[in-house]
Amino acid sequence: MCASVKYSIRGPALIPRMKIKHRIYYITLFSVVLLGLIATGVFQFWPHSIESSNDWSVEKRSVRDVPVVRLPADSPIPERGDLSCRMHTCFDVYRCGFNPKNKIKVFIYSLKKYVDDSGVPVSNTISREYNELLTAISDSDYYTDDINRACLFVPSIDVLNQNTLRIKETAQALAQLSRWDRGTNHLLFNMLPGGPPDYNTALDVPRDRALLAGGGFSTWTYRQGYDVSIPVYSLLSAEVDLPEKGPGPRRYFLLSSQMALHPEYREELGALQAKHGESVLVLDKCTNLSEDVLSFRKRCHKHQVFDYPQVLQEATFCVVLRGARLGQAVLSDVLRAGCIPVVIADSYILPFSEVLDWKRASVVVPEEKMADVYNILQSIPQKQIEEMQRQKWGSVSNPLFLPLIPPQSQGFTAIVLTYDRVESLFRVITEVSKVPSLSKLLVVWNNQNKSPPEESLWPKIRVPLKVVRTAENKLSNRFFPYDEIETEAVLAIDDDIIMLTSDELQFGYEVWREFPDRLVGYPGRLHLWDHEMSKWKYESEWTNEVSMVLTGAAFYHKYFNYLYTYKMPGDIKNWVDAHMNCEDIAMNFLVANVTGKAVIKVTPRKKFKCPECTAIDGLSLDQTHMVERSECINKFASVFGTMPLKVVEHRADPVLYKDDFPEKLKSFPNIGSL
Amino acid sequence: MQSWRRKSLWLALLASWLLGLLGIFPLLRLAVPTGPRAGAPRGWPRWLDAELLQSSFQPGEPPEDAPPPPPAPRGGSCDWGACFDTSKCRSGGFKVFVYPAAGPPSETQHKILASLEGSRYHTVSPTEACLHLLSLDAPAGACGPLPPEWNRGKNHLVLRLHPASCSGTFPRGQAMVAEASPAGDAFRPGFDVALPPLPEAHPVRGGAPGRLRQHSPHPGEALLALAEEGGGWRMAGADSSACPRSGHCERDGGPEPTHPGAALPNATFCLIPGRRPDALRFLQALQAGCIPVLLSPRWELPFAEVIDWTKAAIVADERLPLQAVAALQEMPPTRVLALRQQTQFLWDTYFSSVDKVIRTTLEIIQDRILGVSARPLLMWNSPPGALLALPTFSTSPSHFPFYHLQRGSRPAGRFSALIRVGATGQPPLKLIRAVAGSHHCAQILVLWSNDKPPPSSWPETAVPLTVMEGHRKASDRFLPFRAISTDAILSLDAHSSLSTSEVDFAFGVWQSFPERMVGFQTWSHFWDEAQGGWGYTAERVNDFSMVLTSAAFYHRYYHTLFTHSLPAALRSRAEAAPGCADVLMNFLVAAATKLPPIKVPCGRRPAEAGPPQAPGGLGPAPQPAARDCIDQLAAGFGHMPLVSSRLRLDPVLFKDPVSVLRKKYRSLEKP
Repeated sequence: MCASVKYSIRGPALIPRMKIKHRIYYITLFSVVLLGLIATGVFQFWPHSIESSNDWSVEKRSVRDVPVVRLPADSPIPERGDLSCRMHTCFDVYRCGFNPKNKIKVFIYSLKKYVDDSGVPVSNTISREYNELLTAISDSDYYTDDINRACLFVPSIDVLNQNTLRIKETAQALAQLSRWDRGTNHLLFNMLPGGPPDYNTALDVPRDRALLAGGGFSTWTYRQGYDVSIPVYSLLSAEVDLPEKGPGPRRYFLLSSQMALHPEYREELGALQAKHGESVLVLDKCTNLSEDVLSFRKRCHKHQVFDYPQVLQEATFCVVLRGARLGQAVLSDVLRAGCIPVVIADSYILPFSEVLDWKRASVVVPEEKMADVYNILQSIPQKQIEEMQRQKWGSVSNPLFLPLIPPQSQGFTAIVLTYDRVESLFRVITEVSKVPSLSKLLVVWNNQNKSPPEESLWPKIRVPLKVVRTAENKLSNRFFPYDEIETEAVLAIDDDIIMLTSDELQFGYEVWREFPDRLVGYPGRLHLWDHEMSKWKYESEWTNEVSMVLTGAAFYHKYFNYLYTYKMPGDIKNWVDAHMNCEDIAMNFLVANVTGKAVIKVTPRKKFKCPECTAIDGLSLDQTHMVERSECINKFASVFGTMPLKVVEHRADPVLYKDDFPEKLKSFPNIGSL
Repeated sequence: MQSWRRKSLWLALLASWLLGLLGIFPLLRLAVPTGPRAGAPRGWPRWLDAELLQSSFQPGEPPEDAPPPPPAPRGGSCDWGACFDTSKCRSGGFKVFVYPAAGPPSETQHKILASLEGSRYHTVSPTEACLHLLSLDAPAGACGPLPPEWNRGKNHLVLRLHPASCSGTFPRGQAMVAEASPAGDAFRPGFDVALPPLPEAHPVRGGAPGRLRQHSPHPGEALLALAEEGGGWRMAGADSSACPRSGHCERDGGPEPTHPGAALPNATFCLIPGRRPDALRFLQALQAGCIPVLLSPRWELPFAEVIDWTKAAIVADERLPLQAVAALQEMPPTRVLALRQQTQFLWDTYFSSVDKVIRTTLEIIQDRILGVSARPLLMWNSPPGALLALPTFSTSPSHFPFYHLQRGSRPAGRFSALIRVGATGQPPLKLIRAVAGSHHCAQILVLWSNDKPPPSSWPETAVPLTVMEGHRKASDRFLPFRAISTDAILSLDAHSSLSTSEVDFAFGVWQSFPERMVGFQTWSHFWDEAQGGWGYTAERVNDFSMVLTSAAFYHRYYHTLFTHSLPAALRSRAEAAPGCADVLMNFLVAAATKLPPIKVPCGRRPAEAGPPQAPGGLGPAPQPAARDCIDQLAAGFGHMPLVSSRLRLDPVLFKDPVSVLRKKYRSLEKP
């Protein structure tokens, strides 16, 4: 669960593509800020959910009723921001250890109105945006109203935009907060830092050790591993809905939409446009619009008027140039429109760069190379452009990605699922125990009404044999991650599979060692698309292809037992137990979905027993079985939301299988038959 | 020092005590009550007049946000844009000049030179170079004089592999500094390079392979190892899964005596204190496949500019060791699995030899120069790593053989046949027809490596046929020919004999394993006790580790890798003996994938004019020259990369007793 939340948070797509408006924007913003802090190592846990847990009553008040605080002119001012701050020097982690599961708790100071000695307000009480941000935090799981249990403190003093602040008085207001303590563990949010003439890239309000989530940090002001860089809020991004646009060519190659550009930059852009013609579009504000039109929703080129931000969707690349400030709101608009940002702002720390790989979704060009930007972009291969437009990569992340062939000496654990066929079970045990690499045998006794035979009656074999009794007769019990499994390789085997030879099983294990992240089994099966019925169909005929193997006898990594038991999507596990069928198909789906890889069928083996080919009472049983199995495939495909199974045309045989070569010189001469 | 020793001992005791406690009284941790108090209003209020609140922002852009300030790097500090001149690197490519040592070179300087010489970056001309490399690892730690072309350090990389060498007074100026575990305050992110701290005896090439033998931790493995003063590791706490569900643990969870001989920890997590000298332990943990848990490190993690350490290590606060240990205990298996494998991947890829460390440093700088054309971080952080994914080839993962399986994708369905015509000088008409008969064939390229001029007329084929002149060298066939337009290459010799059906099936297999070589005939390598060296043979037929490129599918990227990443010495070595180029190609692919090649069945024995030792695996053993070849290549790689396999991939119904009409590849079964 944890991982999935984290993943969805990680793609750059999250910042712009917010479907639901402000609330989610702010919840996500705050979550990613926390994620940035987590990356610094203070918190070992990603908080488990970012959903709201709003099950208490909320006070309803008027902003005009908030208490007024008078700040004496000589009240203390915090030190300037301490540039050498790192988590282990300036952050008090002891405050963060109180809560179960190390969950971070955040306290918000109540809203006050600050005035100076002469009664003049220090700033606007609170802005709409900051109110929404605080509401989002307060509604989230992180929030606590107990100041003694808080790990982070968020002042209600609004410093989002430095332009609206009286610097000294705001600093004084911060210093008198009840737990200020040099700003330790206090988190400030600021999107527009600095002011004329020199436009500092971080908030000018002295804040001592307080953490700053700031928009527009430069490498000179950013305290790596302490501060968090956030995007500058864009009104439009939250208000305008843009349709999703897939990758592909666009009308313009390069677009500039910023209105307040330095003349020098505009000149350079103009030169680009003159040189490359219609593929470059440089927009400016419109001068001759009628009054009732929202001027910030329009852009003009000469006399042509364009809708903004819609026009961004017409371009492959969109320029994000620095202004006086490094952080530009247009970055959010551009990302949201699915245009690839070309960031030209030297030393700018891109938002959330602690946790996002901006190379995947943007192009950063040094300011001095601006004249060259067109050629630089032209040199990017089309394929890479499409990947940037998609803003994400493939969806699988194989849990066993390291190419590694486990040592043969480790061997495998055979797990026999049985109900009451003792005689057959004992034969299976005797046969399997002849396989050289068997290291342990585990019998899963699935019959609650009957005890397993006495110890003295069991076959005497050379490896440890353990019997596990289950609480319920469920098929899933075969895939439970039993503590007794010590090897990585597991052989799942039914209690009536007596036909597999020792060579065949040993070879199967050897094949698994070469493909430890796959299901390695004997009889193969196939899924097919039934065009008439428009659904999936299960196939056990003589086909040239396989996409599944039966788990009546199959090798796989024990980690998949953990996945099957605890991470199987939807209600598949219950469905399998209720229908007493298709646990093997479910396992095939699970492994293929998480690894993106096909199964490996070994040896010619075609069938074990024959519910599906030698029906005792003729065709009907056979057909019912096939219908049920087809239903499983359709059900699972809908739960997974995709068809993860991969079709291949090969199987694995020993190197000399059926070659004209003396049998006694072959490693696996007795490989069995169909 | 004393206080640190005490501190780590204290930490060890505390941690093991906590582990015991957690095992026995898990309920203790729930002592803190949770949940909101019902009833009382709490939280941030809902303002009745919220609609009246003003926005912080003007619609559009703030008007004063116009004039750009002068870009002003402060007080002598450097960043990439201000202090590196990339114009020098564009014309001649990324060339590195190494200053000769002022006096007799030290051991380390020897290693650095050994690593660079013969690499594609190296140049002997300082004027041609884009980067000047100055090694401070002089003998006796003395600082030499500044070199003549110093130029205030511009485009210089000052390399300091060992912290003892040349004290910190060196005037770095505008030079980039690459040093082991630099302290946070002096380090200029994006400009300097953080190196790993290397032990003195670190090997130049090859290096000790990672010690991980299995993906998941063994149930009996200790949960924690603590770095101890003096170089040892102290194990603490068995993994909980070692305890049977009855509740009886075989280990008591208390501290166990240190194993003095074991330099590498045998545990799932390795706790490493944060001061700089302990950075050395970090590398040990990586090699052991033990997930490093860094307690408030005061040093920059190596190569953090490109390596995503959140995927391989955990940074925890040293002030809360108990919380850290508790969190480790509760970490979900999925994360443990991923972290463990990543440590091992990173060790093997970037840290196990001096050569890899140097090349990684240079590749980082090259990526900075390339800017937008640099590799995405994914390529740095997933196998086989950036040293084997050359940005000059492409920056799109889908162009490489390595990422298809990771991403669940499949390469496109066409191949180019590359037929080398050597000494026989006869156009292989039959072969051309068979290959051109495949629907997947996009083009046929004939590499004419014969003294006779190529014939003017060639058979009519459905696909384009191009004749290229070769230089009659064995490794000619592995040049990255521009004419190759597909990901897949079917490499063939004129005397190879294949049917269309064999080609089709083998190509389908290759699409499922695009990072491997898929071939028909095989060799296997072995350690020859009598000779004390490596050998290879076509006679051991139950397994194999190489496929012959006289008939094999592989990704065209391997031509680029062969030509541009292998040291020149190895490539010329491959010319010396027949078949050695084949061996080298197999070495290269195995080193990149760490996997064996794939064998597919061939219908008939290619009896007609087979290669010297190939057919059916029954020819004579390779000659002594061949033995020298494999031995010297193994020495050049620093290890033996080849991996053996015992399986062959056959069509699903191969030789099954069913009607041949059902079989798609029936002609493969003809005797």
